[in-house]
Amino acid sequence: MSSFSRSAQQWATFARSWFLIDARMQPPGKIATMCSVRLQGKHKPIYHALSDCGDHVVVINTKHIAFSGNKWEQKVYSSHTGFPGGFKQVTAAQLHLKDPKAIVRLAVYGMLPRNLHRRTMMQRLHIFPEDELPDDIRANLTEELPQPREIPRKLSEYTQEEIDAFPRLWIPPEDYKMK
Amino acid sequence: MAARSLLRSIWTSFAGLKQGFTGTSVNSLLRVNVPQISAVAMQTRGIRQVVEKKDGKTTTIEGQIIEIPAGPQPPNPTAKCPIYRWNLQHKYNYTDVLLLSQFIRSDGGMLPRRITGLCLEEHRKIAICVQMAHRAGLLPDHKPKLPEDHVPKRPKPQLNRYLTRWSIDSVKPIYKRGLKWCKKRMDVGHPALRNNVRYGVKPLYIKH
Repeated sequence: MSSFSRSAQQWATFARSWFLIDARMQPPGKIATMCSVRLQGKHKPIYHALSDCGDHVVVINTKHIAFSGNKWEQKVYSSHTGFPGGFKQVTAAQLHLKDPKAIVRLAVYGMLPRNLHRRTMMQRLHIFPEDELPDDIRANLTEELPQPREIPRKLSEYTQEEIDAFPRLWIPPEDYKMK
Repeated sequence: MAARSLLRSIWTSFAGLKQGFTGTSVNSLLRVNVPQISAVAMQTRGIRQVVEKKDGKTTTIEGQIIEIPAGPQPPNPTAKCPIYRWNLQHKYNYTDVLLLSQFIRSDGGMLPRRITGLCLEEHRKIAICVQMAHRAGLLPDHKPKLPEDHVPKRPKPQLNRYLTRWSIDSVKPIYKRGLKWCKKRMDVGHPALRNNVRYGVKPLYIKH
């Protein structure tokens, strides 16, 4: 803001902000790109890889994430414990039931740069499966980011006036019953 | 009669007639128990008002057709298929539930093509969109009726999804995804909706 004093402007530029993202009915990949951009600090014009300008990101409602297509059944998360016979492959559905935070966490982890800063950036990412936030994090939040995907409305969420305003496309024949 | 022939609907009049028959003990004029529908936009066959008249020993129960004005006219009335009549060819998606709900039964199944009058490709596209809408949970009231004591064998996990092409149980996990040149992609959406109007620059991304 141009109305700030020099010290206040300097403080506002280099301060670390806290962003909130609601992941309800959102694809985890799109949430993860938004998170990774802000964790690295790439949304700031003063970005430099060495200057530690990343912000905190809080993701809520990760339990209600929505995958497109059949990814819940098709997407496989693999890991190896290091021991022989320790190759584990789990589908996204199974992983989500076991740990609702894992999918978003792994997605963001894969989108961050593969250097030593990645672990610090992951520490600045806070994921919560439901709406509840601890009070200290809630007090720190500065901005809520808009959701990447528009949530479609269910038929039960339309009012009767809207349903009536929509014209009937075809006329059923007189003897046809059962609808 | 011409106006009336334009205005048709099945379930309202049938529901009204059935309720009228059960209440024969009431002497006074029986008003049809029809749920509140604004008659302006809906093209109906003629909602009937059940009138009971008693002349000594004979009781006459008559369904008198209420005159309802016609709804809005389609912009292209000469076409055969209703989608082409309303110029909605490449403009609908799985989210347009108001459109899709006109072609489904109360338990979620599609109505036959010879009844709705859709052309073959549009019928298939609507069927695909209805499937995707069901899987996305956008049609919660059109589930098949299960008997009261039905207990599911294994509890279904409540997972949100959208643009699901294949049925949930039929899909196998992709354990080996392959390298870039032979990658096994995951299908999203359906190629039948490939020609839909897109207002952005980005192409339709079917293989993820």
